[in-house]
Amino acid sequence: MVASKDLQIEWRTLETLSSMVLFSLIVLVVFNFAFDLTTVRQIGVARLVPGVLWVTFSFSAIVGFARSFQIERHRDSLSALILAPVDRSVLFTGKALANFATVAALELLILPLSAVFFDYDLLAVLGPLVAVVLLHTLGLCELGTLFAAVAARVGRGEALLATLLFPVASPLFISAVKCTSGVLEGKPLSSVSNWMLVTAGFDVLYFLVAMLTFEYILED
Amino acid sequence: MGDAPILEARNLMKRFGAIAALDGLDFDLAAGESLAVFGPNGAGKTTLTRILTGSLRMTSGSLKIAGRDPRAHGIETQRIIGLISHQTFLYDDLTARQNLIFFARLYGLDDPPGKAVELLDSVRLLDRADDPARTFSRGMQQRLSLARCLIHDPRIVFLDEPFTGLDPYAAALLRATLERLRHEGRTLFLVTHNLAEGLELSDRWMILAAGKIRAQGESSGVDRTAFERSYFQHVGGPPAGGAHA
Amino acid sequence: MRGIKDVLTVSLLAVTAVLMFGAIYAVFVYVPDERIMGPVQRIFYFHVPSAIVTFFSVLVLLVGSIAYLWTRQPFWDNLSRAATEIGLLFCAVVLITGPIWAKKAWGVWWTWEARLTTTLVLWLILAACLMVRGYAENRDQGARLAAVLGIVAGLDVPIIYKAVDWWRGQHPVVFGPGKKNPLAPEMLHTFLFCLLVFFLLYALLLTLRTRVATLEDRARAISETLGGR
Repeated sequence: MVASKDLQIEWRTLETLSSMVLFSLIVLVVFNFAFDLTTVRQIGVARLVPGVLWVTFSFSAIVGFARSFQIERHRDSLSALILAPVDRSVLFTGKALANFATVAALELLILPLSAVFFDYDLLAVLGPLVAVVLLHTLGLCELGTLFAAVAARVGRGEALLATLLFPVASPLFISAVKCTSGVLEGKPLSSVSNWMLVTAGFDVLYFLVAMLTFEYILED
Repeated sequence: MGDAPILEARNLMKRFGAIAALDGLDFDLAAGESLAVFGPNGAGKTTLTRILTGSLRMTSGSLKIAGRDPRAHGIETQRIIGLISHQTFLYDDLTARQNLIFFARLYGLDDPPGKAVELLDSVRLLDRADDPARTFSRGMQQRLSLARCLIHDPRIVFLDEPFTGLDPYAAALLRATLERLRHEGRTLFLVTHNLAEGLELSDRWMILAAGKIRAQGESSGVDRTAFERSYFQHVGGPPAGGAHA
Repeated sequence: MRGIKDVLTVSLLAVTAVLMFGAIYAVFVYVPDERIMGPVQRIFYFHVPSAIVTFFSVLVLLVGSIAYLWTRQPFWDNLSRAATEIGLLFCAVVLITGPIWAKKAWGVWWTWEARLTTTLVLWLILAACLMVRGYAENRDQGARLAAVLGIVAGLDVPIIYKAVDWWRGQHPVVFGPGKKNPLAPEMLHTFLFCLLVFFLLYALLLTLRTRVATLEDRARAISETLGGR
């Protein structure tokens, strides 16, 4: 229900989602300048698009992660959450879920746009692509929520979030790009199943780690 | 009112590095009693409140709330306590009603919407139920915060300088509410800078300075002026040019 | 007790110092030139042990972090901090010696191959852990948050290692399952000897750094008490 509270807030203001979408669009355009993406067909969609997509998603997601704890700072509502008779790990799950829903919504909007920008057939690969994207987004949101909590507790922690997230989540990125690339080439999911399994394991592992350590982050 | 105190603190210590913010506190709170805690800034009052409400861990000592160790029985303990602070703990972007429904759900209450209406009515905010908390004045926000605190019917209510920044109407409402809580037999732990008000609203008082209890006593029949003088004696000197509450 | 600790530390210092001279002799005089690579190959004797020590330090960090959250004793926090800093140091050694070798061997300073990438990522994570300690509002908070990060990072390192390995794989593999040992006996001896020396060096630095941190704690405690409230 923590998740639904966060989502309710989001629904009212749509602040986070809109800034994330805008940011994603800007990043996509910047990539166009940076890499001359009109030559995509030469390089091949499968080789270029995954990287662009995941960089875009992760930087935009960070905006969302930071926000999810900023809303608790304004009137110190985090203290009220700590006061409540709920397990700290429940707080983590709620926040992570809300973040996941937000980032997933973002991806839902950006993916079709990317299909238009880079001229690939989204519908042909829709199923496997969605599976890949959601699985990796889950891991990203788990780590993102965890580190956003850490960053929120320290003074000027905004820089900390990105600095922590990217190195630690690097296996996720490697796997995400590999799987997305395979899927965009039209290969079936089974061809990247070992990566998917590793990522699934990663997701489970860090879910447990976060559940166990969240109370130590919130305590003070 | 039972025989066993509802709150027992023994030798509470809290160290930040080498500094002892709380240096061996011993006190009890009887059920239904109202305790006023006075002391200068930095005396450790907020630290104490945070330890008692479970958001800060003490370095050593023992604490029992309703006969249970909060560290072992955190969830049950959190269920029976409530906290009002100078921060309201509210979500600005949600309406008053949505805020209260959230907290009702958080505390696992039946019929969250009904409870929300009930509490909104009790703090006279029902007519603004569907306005975002952002649009409320300071006094109204504190009233909403009061509703948030009481929604789960806590047995012990902790208040950390709740009168700060309140307009007279809100302050009067708060005072009336505290009196009502006392009549209802709830236990109050009131940290305040206002000596007169604190004495009026409490059964017992306690002066905290530099992490230690300097003095305590009964509140009824205390002469205000004499108390003020002795307060300054305990905490170290009045400001030049006379004192005022 | 302090007496024994001091004695042990000094003996460790003495032994390590002596053995380090031995190692330098071994690497520069004793061991023959490698057939293909020439003298530059000798970096191998510094590079690989540094890498092994770095990974070991991450393990120490993981254990120390868990221990701190469990017991809240400052010793474990000091140990974890030392492991982070010294791990960072040895990691930097790997990152510097790697490219030196790479330039000679492959003609480029840097490639994004498995081990170098992993090491770079690891360096970034350790640096971030240190950053958190710096940003924290007070000692307790810094220790707690750093411990959580220590656990996250410690668990992550093997995953990163494996993931990057699958993804690329260009690093020269000297020892591997099923491979015949390609090293001449002198080289093997030197390598193992250097490994030992590096571990001793690590142990020495870890001990010293942890003790310095403990002494710093004590000094701060005294100054805070004297400084008055």
